[in-house]
Amino acid sequence: MPAMVSTSQPVQQSFNPYTENGGTILAIAGADFSVIAGDTRQSEGYSIQTRYAPKVFRLTDKAVLAVNGFAADGNMFVKKVRQRLEWYRHAHAKDMPIRAIARLIQTMLYARRFFPFYVYNILGGIEEDGTGAVYSFDPVGSYEREACRAAGAAQSLVQPFLDNQIYFKNQTPAPGTAFPKHLPLSTVLPLVIDSFTSATERHIEVGDGLEIYIVLSKGSTALQGLQTVRGVQELTATNDGERVFVIRRELKKD
Amino acid sequence: MFLTRSEYDRGVNTFSPEGRLFQVEYAIEAIKLGSTTVGIRTPEGVVLAVEKRVQSPLLESNSIEKIMEIDTHLGCAMSGLTADARTMIDHARVTAQNHAFTYDERIKVESVTQAVCDLALRFGESVHDEEAMMSRPFGVALLIAGIDELGPQLYHTDPSGTFVRYDAKAIGSGSEAAQSELQDKWHRQMTLREAQLLTLNVLKQVMEEKLDQHNVQLAQVTPKGFEILNEASLKEVIEAM
Amino acid sequence: MYKPAGFDFSNELRNNFLVEKGLPLPKATSTGTTIVGCLFKDGIVLGADTRATEGPIVADKNCEKIHYITESIRCCGAGTAADTEFTTALISSNMEMHALQTGRKPRVVTAMTMLKQMLFRYQGHVGAALVLGGVDATGAHLFTIHPHGSTDKLPYVTMGSGSLAAMAVFESGWVPDMERDKALALVKSAIAAGIFNDLGSGSNIDACIITANSTEMLRNVEMPNQRVQKERNYKFRRGTTAWKKEDIRSLVVDEQVTQIGGDEMDTS
Repeated sequence: MPAMVSTSQPVQQSFNPYTENGGTILAIAGADFSVIAGDTRQSEGYSIQTRYAPKVFRLTDKAVLAVNGFAADGNMFVKKVRQRLEWYRHAHAKDMPIRAIARLIQTMLYARRFFPFYVYNILGGIEEDGTGAVYSFDPVGSYEREACRAAGAAQSLVQPFLDNQIYFKNQTPAPGTAFPKHLPLSTVLPLVIDSFTSATERHIEVGDGLEIYIVLSKGSTALQGLQTVRGVQELTATNDGERVFVIRRELKKD
Repeated sequence: MFLTRSEYDRGVNTFSPEGRLFQVEYAIEAIKLGSTTVGIRTPEGVVLAVEKRVQSPLLESNSIEKIMEIDTHLGCAMSGLTADARTMIDHARVTAQNHAFTYDERIKVESVTQAVCDLALRFGESVHDEEAMMSRPFGVALLIAGIDELGPQLYHTDPSGTFVRYDAKAIGSGSEAAQSELQDKWHRQMTLREAQLLTLNVLKQVMEEKLDQHNVQLAQVTPKGFEILNEASLKEVIEAM
Repeated sequence: MYKPAGFDFSNELRNNFLVEKGLPLPKATSTGTTIVGCLFKDGIVLGADTRATEGPIVADKNCEKIHYITESIRCCGAGTAADTEFTTALISSNMEMHALQTGRKPRVVTAMTMLKQMLFRYQGHVGAALVLGGVDATGAHLFTIHPHGSTDKLPYVTMGSGSLAAMAVFESGWVPDMERDKALALVKSAIAAGIFNDLGSGSNIDACIITANSTEMLRNVEMPNQRVQKERNYKFRRGTTAWKKEDIRSLVVDEQVTQIGGDEMDTS
């Protein structure tokens, strides 16, 4: 019998701490409101982990954060942002303005430049001057204020649709007219719902449920129209400042 | 006070049986030796003024720096051991910059003041074997002036780490007389110009020398930002007195 | 020029070179699928979902995965769509040829053998995972055929990415000698389990009931995932699309016809 000789080469073991949990988020800023939405399906590979895992979180009365990518990182990141907001409130005796939250998120993400939170963030809400705002981030903290942004699994399906319907890309206005700079909430909400029903049709990781957060600026005229929307629910206790509402809808479950 | 002097005035972190920290009280006493410093808040902004003691005709008076910038919207005047103020202002500047870096907004006046006072209490703080970072309380009081979303504000800090907001405040050797003068003359709708003149008038009354553009310094924080008045502007205000 | 029958491998070397250079091969449509089959008292029920995917994108919301082999033999396909379609069509042709040659109704084992021999020959490169079922002179038969050519003969089978979800239903609900309706209901709920719990499967349920004297293809027997009404109309105003140049040409050709002969066209 021949002697036992080890012929094996060294094998590098590896562990990948990240997974991708699917789903899609989007946000649209209006003149005096902001809409932030996400589906509620959480998946891994071809399996659904849960049909209800929120990806959109209310941070303050004027800021809502949507997180998409690796769900564990996303949840931990939101937890850490909330902790920082509370510390800020104690230190400075006020809620952090959305512009400051945006910068804080950048510094928090960039602090993990070489072991990032595997998440795409979209922050929506109301600016100090009362205008609707959307800030979008990459996983290591590059950020920008925009009027609309989609992220996640169906970004490539939804963003071109939003570019066309919000920014009127590839559309020429009727002679003597111009496209509006901001759309009313009554137009934005149907666009958000249609974005998600359509993404559900064509992307396997999108579906189950839809959560739409709406942040209204103080005295926003969008209020009247919103109150007649089916299933709308207010999350803010007072009506003398910014107001936050949520609409929950079912999406297809296949 | 000196009647109850005992061993309790040695350690910075030992209370006397009467519940006093003598080193802190002595530090507060040290401020009363400092040059007079005045601050006035108006709806248009905050004015700071200090007396510069020019001890020798050979001294270059513009090398005396008793009003410093913390951030574009924050200024600070000092009285007492001015060398100690450097540490505090350095800390305030770092805090303000760090806030701007992290939050993309200007730090509130109260927040920097709080940060400075947190530092003021760090004396005698040491982890068992380590040397204490600061061996004694700061021997300086500050008037921190600034503008934020709550409007123009003036804060006073002392070596005990206490801070209080004032409409008008005087510190230093002539502070008692100066403060009662401020109490008489300050009014709610004061203009910035009136405040400039009042600070100088108050200083003039408590100064031994004749007030001129070399032995006082005047600064202001307005919505345009912090600014130390240059010699020409200062001279112009003095002449208008 | 002589051309051999079957696959053409002439681009193999070039394509491998391109892959090495970093140009990936185009991705084939995969029917990341739920397909099932189940034996019952009178025959076989086959079932399939109707979703076809390209990675995470739904390529076809209502494709057909139950393929015709012969009148009383059908085959569900999972895996690479082109492979399942082509392989079943090829075997269908060969089965018809076989039937004509022998003058008999062909058997399910024959189709199974032809399929497994073909798949084995291609060593798994033909990515077809099949559920083959039918009724012949020897009775009802149900097989699974894996891409490398292995086969199983079982009373209830599932395949595709939703196979575990579907098998869970079969394992809890299948009993021997079921009635037709009960077998169909079981197959439907097995496919539904795949549709709702497996992301690779979705849309509608197709079923096929094969008995000794009839084959019923139940296309879209259940449609539990109808698209909801859109909230807005996306009709664009005429003139929305910008253009750089307008050029109108007349395509009407003016022709002068001179009659020379008077004869009518010879149409005899």
